[in-house]
This record gives sequence, C-alpha cells and structure tokens, in this order.
Amino acid sequence: MDKVVACQTCGLVQGVDDVPEGCVAKCARCNFQIFHRRISSRSRTLAYSIAAAILYFPSNFYPLVTAFYQGQHTQTTIFQGIRSLWHDGQYFISGLVFCTSIFTPALKIIGLIFITLTLDWNGGKKARTWIYKIIRIIDPWNMLEVFLLAIGVGVIEMGQVATIHPGRGVFSFAAVVVLTLLATLSFDSRLLWDSPAERKHYQ
Amino acid sequence: MSEKSHALPKAKIARSYLTWFIWLIPVAAVGLCVFFVVRDVIFKGPTITIYFQSADGLEQENSPIKYRGANIGQIHGMKLTPDKQFVAVTAKLDYTAREFARQGTEFWMVQPEVKVGSIKGLRTIVSGNYITLEPGHGPPTNEFVALAEAPVEPVKAVEFTLLMDDLGSLQKQTAIFYRGVQVGEVLDFRLSDDSKHVLVHARIREEYAPLLRVNSKFWNAGGINFHFGLLSGAEISAESAQTVVSGGIAFATPPDYGDAATNGAVFQLNDKEDDEWKKWNPAIPLHGVPEAQKEKSSLPQVNSK
Repeated sequence: MDKVVACQTCGLVQGVDDVPEGCVAKCARCNFQIFHRRISSRSRTLAYSIAAAILYFPSNFYPLVTAFYQGQHTQTTIFQGIRSLWHDGQYFISGLVFCTSIFTPALKIIGLIFITLTLDWNGGKKARTWIYKIIRIIDPWNMLEVFLLAIGVGVIEMGQVATIHPGRGVFSFAAVVVLTLLATLSFDSRLLWDSPAERKHYQ
Repeated sequence: MSEKSHALPKAKIARSYLTWFIWLIPVAAVGLCVFFVVRDVIFKGPTITIYFQSADGLEQENSPIKYRGANIGQIHGMKLTPDKQFVAVTAKLDYTAREFARQGTEFWMVQPEVKVGSIKGLRTIVSGNYITLEPGHGPPTNEFVALAEAPVEPVKAVEFTLLMDDLGSLQKQTAIFYRGVQVGEVLDFRLSDDSKHVLVHARIREEYAPLLRVNSKFWNAGGINFHFGLLSGAEISAESAQTVVSGGIAFATPPDYGDAATNGAVFQLNDKEDDEWKKWNPAIPLHGVPEAQKEKSSLPQVNSK
C-alpha cells in the first residue's frame, strides 16, 4: 500500500512503500527518518514507562538533596521534605510538592503502562481515552523539583555555613523526569481509537 | 492517484535496530537499581550503639563521626536507655571504617571548649558537635560506652604524684615545664583520703624522664608573679605566656641529683620557687628523640608495587 508522506524535516513530499518489520523509511532528499505514524509507538511507550517505573523507587528512596546548614549534614528525600513542610504549616506548598513529584509521576507511569498493555482489550476504550486526557493535563506539572534544586544550588552556596549538593537520588529522579517525558511523546494517541487491524499495523 | 504518486521520489527503506534498542533502556534502569542495591547492601558499614552520659549538642540524626578529621559515619538516632541513665546513640559507620567497630575503641564527643588556657573544637561552634574515636584492637563489637571527655593521648611516660595544699588554677592537662620547655602534663587530680591535700597525678614524657630525680623540686609556675619592694620597685615575672592563663608547674633538679624518679614517685608541690632552685644547672644526658616521635613525623608508607 503506497502512501504519500511529507518529510517532517525538509518538507519533500514523497511516496513510501510498505515498511517491512525492523526497517524504517528515510527521506530521499535529507535522509532523515520519515513516517506516516509514529514508529513502534506502543513498545517504545511501554519501554520508557517501565524504565521510569523502575527508577521511580531509587529516586524516592535516596536523598535528593544533601544540605550542610549550620554544620548539620542533612540528607533529605522528597518525602522527608514534604513531611517537614507539612509540619511547618506549609500545607499548600507541601501538597503541591507531593502532587508534582510523587503523585503525578506515579499516576502517569501507571496510566501509560495500563494504556499500552490493555490496548488490545475490546472494552475500556473510553477509560483509556480518559486516562490519556488526564495524563496530558498533568504533564506540565511534573517534576518541578529538579529545576528548583538547580536554582537552590546556585543560590545557596555559603561555604562553611550552608551548602546544598545534589544527593544520590537526583540522578534517578532526573531520569524519571526524562523517561516519562519521552514516554508521553512517543505515544501515538491514534492507537486509542484505531480498529484492531489498524493497530496491528501501526503499533 | 496511483500515477501521481509514482512521479514522486521514493523514500529509502533501511534497517533499523532502534525498536530493539529501546528495550535496553529498562534493562539499564534495572542495572542502575542493582548497582544501588549492591553498593548499599554489600558495602554497608556496621551500625553501632554508643552510650553517652549526655548527648547534649549532638543532632538527633545528622551529627558526624570523624576520625582524623575525615567523616567516617553518621548518627542515625538517639534514645534514652530503659533505666534512663544513658543516651543510646545509634550510628552507622562507613564501609571503610568498619574496622573501628572493635572492643577497645573509645568514642567521645568533640564540642567547643573554652577552658582557661586551652581553646578547643572552635569549629564545632559553627559545624555542630561531632563524635570522634580512638581505635581499639579487640574482637568486633557493636556496643560502646562513650568517654566523658577526650582521653589524654597515651604516651610512654613516668607518672608520679604531686602533693599540694590547694589546687589553684591547675587543671587536667596543665603543662609541666623544665626550663620553660613543656616536658609533661597533669593527668588527673583528687583530694587525698584525709582531705588535707590535693593529689595531682602527672607525668613526664619518657624522653625527658631523666630530668626528674628523687630530689627534684616542683613549684607552681602559674599566673604572674608580682613582687613589689620598696627598693627594688615592681617586678613582674611569668614562666611563659601559656602559664599566665592556664597555670603551670615547673621543676628543677639540683646539681647533685639523685636517682631517676620512677613511676609512683611522690613530690611536694611548692607555692613559690626558691631563688636557689633557679641557679641549679645540672648536665643530665637525655635519651634523644624517642621512637614514637620519629614514626609520627615520617611520611605514610606508599606501596611501590
């Protein structure tokens, strides 16, 4: 089945033959990858989501920030930070941090894994669409902490009195941010309402 | 439609391994987790409990344990023992410091100390108190009783007792001078059993031990001696700047010196020096630099292999 596709990089309109398994089409002019639909969207989304789910644990378990303040060497995980904010009476900020850095990433990861795994089920099409909608809404609110941390490290460098260093958890935390981002990017929402035959062709 | 598309250029088809590579990402994530777990479980230092009389100044969670200034562990928590006599401080030692969890290791707290004549641990005013240790070599153990204060550095020395009527400004670690050179220090003091004297336990380091003879004379060199005479005018003298603030003990040995004093010798500590003692100038051969001091100044042995 021939298709006419415009290259997303150089704009050349060209014919694309059927792409066999394990191959990609490349633009005749600029040699960039061209596609009609996102390639292997389903398995990519699943791979990224699973990787994010795995790294979600160390990112919450290990301290995100190591602070030296008045000689105290404090290692804070995300959850400890939220708890101390709550105890300080900062309920709104505490809730915001909990939502953006613990709740929504988990929701997003679980949601994406659920969608990709249950695509072949006949029922639940509406539920999957709704989950996808929610994921798109909460997306921009994810993982503000890494940026906050970057600012914090820049601002609080006071030598002996106070310093902040990224803790051990920060690498996995950043990895979770990037992986969930890639997971939503690589998900082709058309899979949600494709007929089973189409889905088999495109997934 | 079909004819039109034939006029268009054809896209190239090439093999791609990306779909397969994508699954390396979760595998790498698992690998990273395994790495974290291995590092934390296998390279895990011992958790020890140190009993303090008072843990005042230690942070519940974050006070460090240091050895020679390097962080080797951290406090995890503290709670009262059931009999409420001690504070049980649990701490985690680093993997590299696991050898310190042995019987005979002595722990104590370093805190800012401004005693007359010695200012110690000033850094801890800003940095908070920390725990330090002197390693022991017994069998492994996880429970320790902390010392109330830093132990006096054990060196080979002749230990003796000074008798005096009043402790005055003397303290633990007050220096003992010979011709203004510090040759020893006060270790401890207590009242005599009949409470008529103060017994001061002191030592002279081994390398200077020959200076101490059974007929040596001790006097209190602390503070400033202030003499005021009608004819001689005012005269101010002090053993050294250190003795002005911290007090000190000096001694002299007569030219016709007797046998070398041994451990457990007892001397009288006089309030003031005699002018005659100052003139004593015996030639006493010393042993030279002791082995211990040589070792200390040598560079660490680097394995050349």
